[in-house]
Amino acid sequence: MTDTIAMILILAGGLAGTVALRRAWQAKAADKPRWRALGWAAIGGSMAWPAWVLGPARGPFIAASLVPVAALVVVGAGAQVRAARAGRAANGSLAPEPVERSTTRWRTTLRWLLAGPIGMIAAMAVGICYAVWIPGAPQTRLLIGALIVPVVWGGAMAWTLADARILRATAVLVGTALAGFAISILKGFA
Amino acid sequence: MTTPSQPTVLERASAKRKKPLLARVPADFVRAVLKGHSALGLAFAAAIYLVCLSGSLAVFAHEFQRWELAGLPRVEVLSAEAAQRALAEAVRRGGAGVEHVYITPPSADLPQATVHVEGTAGKESTWLADAEGRIAARADMPWTEFITRLHIHLHLPQVWGMFLVGLTGVALLSSLISGILAHPRILRDAFHLRLGGARRLQEADLHNRIGVWALPFHVLVSLSGAVLGLTTLIVGVLGMALFQGDTAKVYALFIAQEPREDPRPAPVIDLRPMFAQVERLAPGGQVSLVMLEHPTEMGAAALFYVDRGGRRLADRDSFAFERGGRLYHEKRAADANLGESILGSIGKLHFGWFGGYLVKIAYALLGLGLTYLAAGGVTIWLARRRDKRNPAPGLERLWAATLWGQPAALAGAALTALLAPSAGTMVPLATWGAVTLVGLASAVRLSVFAIRRIGRVFTGALLLATATIHAGTIGGTDPVAWTIDGVLVLSGAALLFARRRSRPAP
Repeated sequence: MTDTIAMILILAGGLAGTVALRRAWQAKAADKPRWRALGWAAIGGSMAWPAWVLGPARGPFIAASLVPVAALVVVGAGAQVRAARAGRAANGSLAPEPVERSTTRWRTTLRWLLAGPIGMIAAMAVGICYAVWIPGAPQTRLLIGALIVPVVWGGAMAWTLADARILRATAVLVGTALAGFAISILKGFA
Repeated sequence: MTTPSQPTVLERASAKRKKPLLARVPADFVRAVLKGHSALGLAFAAAIYLVCLSGSLAVFAHEFQRWELAGLPRVEVLSAEAAQRALAEAVRRGGAGVEHVYITPPSADLPQATVHVEGTAGKESTWLADAEGRIAARADMPWTEFITRLHIHLHLPQVWGMFLVGLTGVALLSSLISGILAHPRILRDAFHLRLGGARRLQEADLHNRIGVWALPFHVLVSLSGAVLGLTTLIVGVLGMALFQGDTAKVYALFIAQEPREDPRPAPVIDLRPMFAQVERLAPGGQVSLVMLEHPTEMGAAALFYVDRGGRRLADRDSFAFERGGRLYHEKRAADANLGESILGSIGKLHFGWFGGYLVKIAYALLGLGLTYLAAGGVTIWLARRRDKRNPAPGLERLWAATLWGQPAALAGAALTALLAPSAGTMVPLATWGAVTLVGLASAVRLSVFAIRRIGRVFTGALLLATATIHAGTIGGTDPVAWTIDGVLVLSGAALLFARRRSRPAP
């Protein structure tokens, strides 16, 4: 029962915070800071206080799943419904166009190799390096190392698919992989 | 000389400082990141869509199990005596050469007691026990198994399937990173949701608003999913790099050691004294799983997982006993270090199994939002091509068939699982595969509008049929099962109603 009440309060806090942020978004320049501070305070508070009521880790994670729902409800409630029309939207409302770059087959292949297996190996090297060199309980080092792997791999993927200087990306990722594994094996896991 | 109407260098610098951080990102950088975001999204869109859609449903795996077994006895408590009786009976029915047995006592959200038996020849069976431990029936839940396996390893060989799902998680995480970097108007557009006008603007608004406002959830599920999917690979590399290829040493840091092998035959292991010990070791705890190794050999062992019911995410103690009742492994959640706590939490955090129904509903809604994010990304790309007078009608049809084929395929799988419960996951898997293929083939001849319309009607009709057949054949008194039937009816009716309102896009 306490859990349910706490969750309803989290939802209410999320709604209030997002409504305040929406007011800041709509307000004139002078009023913006006030509403913005109120909105972020409500959202921050809704993420923080559940730690005391619902558990130090469980509470914030419950809030992290409920506050976005509340926020999307507010965004949805403010939707503008327009008459359907064919054709293009005004350019100013849209994101910029992706860059057009000339490429060759080998560059495309290398780019995807960097985003895929080479990025993965580099990410593994960083994760293992963390597990080997950072002090702490072995389980903690291994788990945090394991969490680092997808983050670094994802970052490498985003970078290599965007960067026009593909040789730079190659050098950095191959260098990271070699250096990471070398210094990890040098020390070993203890 | 500077005229009064022109800003000075200082004013320009001041204005630049006041711009939000993301708005100061150079346009060329944004366009380059957008290029990568677009390429990655196109490459992984179908996989992300399928994994997210199946994941949104898998949140309710326990509820689906109750739905499939609704006509069978519900159990509030399984005593030690009843657990022992259920074990003996399930082992007898499992035949000779039992390797492992998993006893799942009832819990608040799953008031059923099941015993899963794994034989030496890969033969597996799951039984449902009543409160006295009598085997009531086979616990056939092909839909639950189908949807969870689809999400976890896409029904591919487990190692490869999990890797592919993990890779999809990484691609999703990468798309989130590039999506934020490629969104300089993140604050200016924070509340814009312009529906019904130009298609591209509508889809872009939906894509960006869902992506930004639910970002904590998206990061949480993609990161945890990537780690879970890549576990085998990460452990393999760790073992190779740090433990001379011995991955068992990595696992030994986290899980109870296997008992000493002694294959001499013996009566079924007696769990009753172990239950009594567990009661003393973890008073007030609730046994959530008992894993048995070789229960009919002298080298038998039992590993008890006990939920302590606290406010911790990782609240599970574990105790392992040898056949004679000697405790040889004891791990308490309260004493766990950060790594052990993360390991104990990551599955719950990924599936939303840590805060009751409200959190599960939030996970399902946000998961469907993430599914829409994957779908909308490709739709925006297709609309952009159309805007640039370079339309790709074949790809538009193929994408519509992919999007609408999956709800229909999953609804078909649920229906056939219900009609042939004892046939395992083969029937729903075959249905899902067949409907998916037919859906994709429809892209050859049908227009996008026709594919959408047929997809909606077919999915809606299948959902209504599933609910009707379930209510008519299984029924039962479980409110959760009736709630699922109600949701199926409402969803089916909504899809059919949407069909009547939909008109071809201009």
